[in-house]
Amino acid sequence: MKNASQSTEILEVHNTEIAIEVVAENALLLSWQAKISLSQHNEIIAFQKIITQQLNALIVESVASYHCLMVYFNLQLTTSAQLIDKIRALAKHQQNNLQNQVKSRDNKPVIKELSQQNDDCINIPVYYDTEQQWDLADVAQRCNMSVDEVIKQHSAQTYHGYALGFTPGFCYLASLPTALHLPRKSSPRLKVPQGAVAIAEQQSAIYPIESPGGWHIIGQTPLPMFSSINGEFNATINVGQNVKFYAITQAEFIALKQGINS
Amino acid sequence: MSQHHLEIISINGQASIQDLGRLNAQHLGFSASGAADEFAFLSANKLISEPLMANDISLEQSRCAAIEITLGQISFEAKSACTIAITGADCQAKINHVAIKPWQRFHLQAGDILDLAMPKAGLHSYLAVFGGFTCEPTQQPWLGSYAQTINEMALGFMGEKLTVGSKLFFTPQAKILTEPSENKVDKLLASNTPTALPALFYSQKELTIRMIPSSLFLAMGHKQQQKFLNTEYSVLPDSNRMGYRLSVTHLQKPAATEPLLSRQLRSHCLLSMPVTYGMVQFPENEQPIVLMKERQTMGGYPVLGTIIQTDLFRLSQMRPGEKINFRLIPSEQALQQLTAFYKRFSL
Repeated sequence: MKNASQSTEILEVHNTEIAIEVVAENALLLSWQAKISLSQHNEIIAFQKIITQQLNALIVESVASYHCLMVYFNLQLTTSAQLIDKIRALAKHQQNNLQNQVKSRDNKPVIKELSQQNDDCINIPVYYDTEQQWDLADVAQRCNMSVDEVIKQHSAQTYHGYALGFTPGFCYLASLPTALHLPRKSSPRLKVPQGAVAIAEQQSAIYPIESPGGWHIIGQTPLPMFSSINGEFNATINVGQNVKFYAITQAEFIALKQGINS
Repeated sequence: MSQHHLEIISINGQASIQDLGRLNAQHLGFSASGAADEFAFLSANKLISEPLMANDISLEQSRCAAIEITLGQISFEAKSACTIAITGADCQAKINHVAIKPWQRFHLQAGDILDLAMPKAGLHSYLAVFGGFTCEPTQQPWLGSYAQTINEMALGFMGEKLTVGSKLFFTPQAKILTEPSENKVDKLLASNTPTALPALFYSQKELTIRMIPSSLFLAMGHKQQQKFLNTEYSVLPDSNRMGYRLSVTHLQKPAATEPLLSRQLRSHCLLSMPVTYGMVQFPENEQPIVLMKERQTMGGYPVLGTIIQTDLFRLSQMRPGEKINFRLIPSEQALQQLTAFYKRFSL
């Protein structure tokens, strides 16, 4: 990895190393450890907030995921080298803050504080359905459990929104109980319906609009995954938010759907 | 609002409304989208704004939406007078059955018919209009852009897919432009000399695309790096506005050898991460995918590096079967290239 150091700089925030890399004329990629971890993700979101607040004039956009933060900047106003210097200064400041806090508070982890900021939880009603020939029965079989057990496991977990992407409002939620981990379908469906609740690997997600997709569909929610008012787009589930699913009947699904549409 | 418009009277290829895209909605999951070939797109708008001199207008015009036409085969009827420019792949455009040259500005009268044929080379052509196009007379940009993204049309924020009967609205233009000028077709036919600019920008033969290497690429062995850089790739038919799929040119394909990207390095790249324009994804089959304007915001494949944007504009005009190879470029040089490019368009 000797060569790599030429293009990658290492910063330290919250006692974790972050690699910072110039990935395009107008983009920097910050990488944490390649893992799905709630505490690490909270650090990423916290650092994203600091960067976007402090460097607001220079930054066009930032996109977070499980272990990365992509920062797009305005190349008329700054260069990647200048921006890295500024981000390094912010990281140093954070690191100093952390060390002071640690000294003054007997090692109480900062991570705890960070995760408290999103104690709100979005509850998603799901009609877990075998009738429509989606994948619920197949998932139960492949995971060697009953359909009811799949529903119980899927709806018992509190999930965390790690990234928005794929299509607008599609939020990657993790982590799914281990017993439900399955690889993606070998060939994707051409049409996954709007509101489909699906799982793949360690993740669950809801398809905001009808689209192709390779995840296993286990149910459907009547809840829209986005709203738009006055030209603004609001995703129902945002990165950093917590999500729980609860089972509803077909009659409730239809009633809720009608209520939303009217 | 304005009812001035052009109408599509026949279409056999693909067309969409494009501008410089919506870079700042990627955190919501929206594709950045935008014109595939910014050189041709910005040139079309520049041709329109150049004679105006007024800086405010010309600056605004550069961000105005144009129609991106893929593989030509489209006809329009002007329902109102307007000033247009056509750039990009040469579609042997005709106004009222009279051939016109590309990379020029023209004035259309109500009732004029504009025909574009299938280009002999290249893919995308741009039809720009003074004031820019919209799908509806009162349409506002969606999250800062009019760009249409195929996968997101179902959301209903980006107007309708362009088809026969689609009306493309524009604001009525300033008086200086509607007055008869030297831009009349008949005069232009005599004096038209295609500008030297496009010939200089586009590659005539094989395109060398310059890549900012990723840390993953730099972690590969020297031998593997050289092998990648010495490989000739060709564009595969399933390439589109989302991504360009490349394959090793057949003649060179060696009998099964070691993969370029080791299993060990690949195993570090399993989690989806944000991806940007020009990233070179390297799936297990080792056929690179270059992410283009309509890319999704997240990707799950290992990334070898990022193609510089000015080369992506060139790449977007390459057709299936055409040849490509890679060369490395330091990120500082890439930045200089792009800054110089935008300066030419006063951006």
